[in-house]
Amino acid sequence: MQHAFKLGEAEHNNALSRSANAYRLHFGEQVIDVDLKTGADGRAWLTVGERHHEVVIATRGDDVFVHFDGEAYQLRYRHPLDRLAAAAGGSAEDHIRAPMPGSIVSVSVKPGDAVTKGQTLLVMESMKMETTITAPRDGVVAVVTYEKAQTFDRDALLLSLEPNQ
Amino acid sequence: MSAVPDTSQWPFKAVLVANRGEIAVRVLRTVQKLGLKGIVVYHAADRGTLAVKMADQAIEITGPTPVASYLDGAQIIAAALASGAGAIHPGYGFLSENKGFCQAVEAAGIRFIGPTPEQIDLMGDKVRARNFVEKAGFPVAPSAIEDDDPATFVERSRKVGAPLLIKPSAGGGGKGMRIVRDLSLLEQEIVRGRSEGARYFGDGRLYCERYIENPRHIEVQVLGDGHGNVVHVFERECSVQRRFQKIVEETPSPALTPELREKICETAAGIARSIGYRNAGTVEFIFGQQGEFYFLEMNTRLQVEHPVTEQITGIDLVLQQLRVAAGEQLGFEQTDVKAQGHAIEFRIYAEDAARGYTPTTGPVLVLHPPQGEGVRWDSGILQGGEVTSAFDPMIAKLIVTGHDRADAIAKGDAALRDTVLLGCKTNTAFLRRLIAHPAFVAGDVHTGFLDANPQIAAEPELAAETLQALLAAAALSTRPMRDVADAVPDMHAAMGGWRN
Repeated sequence: MQHAFKLGEAEHNNALSRSANAYRLHFGEQVIDVDLKTGADGRAWLTVGERHHEVVIATRGDDVFVHFDGEAYQLRYRHPLDRLAAAAGGSAEDHIRAPMPGSIVSVSVKPGDAVTKGQTLLVMESMKMETTITAPRDGVVAVVTYEKAQTFDRDALLLSLEPNQ
Repeated sequence: MSAVPDTSQWPFKAVLVANRGEIAVRVLRTVQKLGLKGIVVYHAADRGTLAVKMADQAIEITGPTPVASYLDGAQIIAAALASGAGAIHPGYGFLSENKGFCQAVEAAGIRFIGPTPEQIDLMGDKVRARNFVEKAGFPVAPSAIEDDDPATFVERSRKVGAPLLIKPSAGGGGKGMRIVRDLSLLEQEIVRGRSEGARYFGDGRLYCERYIENPRHIEVQVLGDGHGNVVHVFERECSVQRRFQKIVEETPSPALTPELREKICETAAGIARSIGYRNAGTVEFIFGQQGEFYFLEMNTRLQVEHPVTEQITGIDLVLQQLRVAAGEQLGFEQTDVKAQGHAIEFRIYAEDAARGYTPTTGPVLVLHPPQGEGVRWDSGILQGGEVTSAFDPMIAKLIVTGHDRADAIAKGDAALRDTVLLGCKTNTAFLRRLIAHPAFVAGDVHTGFLDANPQIAAEPELAAETLQALLAAAALSTRPMRDVADAVPDMHAAMGGWRN
C-alpha cells in the first residue's frame, strides 16, 4: 500500500515492507534497507542503506518530528483513506486555513451566507498586521470556526465553503 | 566584582520579578544565588514554565489577555506587598521603562530595581533624549525639524548635508520616508514627503536628518550607582536584525579599532554620567562606514543581549543592579573592568525564516539544550511545555564564548547543531546559514544585511540522501506503516535457505 508524508509543501509517496532482519523503504524506483532502534528521550539510531545516523524523533498525532544532521524537520503522515476522500470531494480552496498564528479581528459572514469571489470573509491579525481573507470563489459559507478576538495556530481551519455541485 | 556580596544589611530580603520567560529565570538565578527570596508573578498561560518552578513563591495574576496581566502594575504591586517583597525587578519590556509604574512601586515603599522615574522619563521620550544629549555635547545625527521654524526648513535641511532622510514628524514604520542623495532635488522631495505625510498620518509636518548608508548598530553597556559613579562595560554589536529586531549580538564589535572603542564607550559613559544614572543601562548608537557614530537612544533597563557582556567581563549585571538598588556604591573603577575573549548571542525564535519570519507555535515535545564548554543557554521553556502566540516568539538565547571571534563562531555553529527542539519550528538552521555567510564571517554586516541577502532566509533544497533518511525515520515511526509491513512477513525470510 502506498502511504505519503507531507514535508514542507511537497508530498512524498512511499511504502514500508519487512526484510529478513529489519525493513525496506520503497520510494520512487528505489528500495532501501532501513531500520530504527529507539533509545531514551527521543534519541534513535537510524540505518539507511549502508549509513547510520544518530537522530532524535518525536511524534504527535500524524506529525513526525525528526532532528537529523543538526536540523529539525516536520513530516505529516497522510492517511491513505483521507487522501482518497480528499480526491473525491471538495477542493483545497474550499477550506481556508490560517497562513500564520494570530487572532480574529472581525468576521463578516455566517454559515449559509452566499458569497462572491473576492468578498471579505474575515479579518485576522498577526504580528501587529491585519490581513483580510476573501472568498476564493463564488459559493456558500459552510463553517465559520472562530469568533472575534479568538486566537488560532498556523494552518487552523478558519472557514469552509460548501463543496461545489 | 562578581563576588557574592553580604546582603545582611540590605533593605530588602525578597525580590519579586515582574516578568516571565527566560529573563525571569535569569533574574531569579542571581537573586537566589545571593540567598534572597525569589518571587514571580505569572499568568495561567505560564503555569508550567521554568520561572514558576524555580521561584520560592509564585503568585498568579490575571488579565483580559496574558500580556495584559504582566502590564497590570497595580496587581503586581499588590502581589509584592502580599508576599513581603522589598524590591521589584522589572526585567525588560513590559513595565521596565514605565515611569508611572516606577513611581507607584516607590510610593508603595518598595525598591524599584532600575533608574529613577526622572531618568526613565528623560530617556523614554526620543526627541527630548536627543536634545538633552546634544546639549550635553555628545554626538547626535545632524537634523532639522520643520516645526522649529517652517520658513527656514529647506535651508536648514540643506545644511544637514546629503545623503539625508526626510521623515514625517507624525510618522512611524518607514511610511513616507524619502532618501535624498542629490540636494538639487531637495525641494521637490520635501513637497512629496509633505503630501505623503498628510495622506498617511493626516499631518504634513516633516523633519530630516543625515542618512547613514548601511549603518551598524553598536551599543554600550553602562552601570551607574546613583552616587556619581558610572562605568562602561564595553560595547555590543547588534547589526544583524530582521524587522528592526536584533537576532545575533556579539562583543567585542568587529568594526571597532581600540581607539574607536575607547571613544564610543567613553561617550556612552559620559551620557550616563551627565544624568547621574543609576542602574544598568544601554546607550545605543548608529555607526557609519567611516567610523562616525551618533546617539540613537538609551535603554534604562537590563537588555536582552546582556549575557555577552557578562561572558567576556565576568561581571554579573543583575547582581550589580541589585547592589545599586540596595543603595551600595559600585566600588570599582573603569580600569577594573576588563574583557577577555569573544561572545556571541543567538536569539532562538519560534518562527519560520523562509516564510517572512512569521511566528510558529506548537508543543515542545523534545528539548535537548546544547551543552559544553563556553555554551550558555538562557531559556524559560521546558520539555513538555507549549509555544503559544500569546507572547513574543523569542523562546531562548544561546550564548557562546570563545577565545576569539572565529572560535566563537565555530562554537556557535556546533551548539546550534546540537540544539534539539522538536514540535515547534525554530530559526536554528537559519542562524547556522547566517553565520556561515562570508560577510558575517568577515564581520562585515549592517542593519540591512538580511534584507540585502534574502537567500539566507530561504530554505535550501533537500539533498536526496536527507529526504530518504527523513522518510525512513518517519515511516518507521508511523504505526499504520509499520503494522502493514509487519503483517506481511518478508518473502525471503519465509522461504528460508533460498538465498543459500
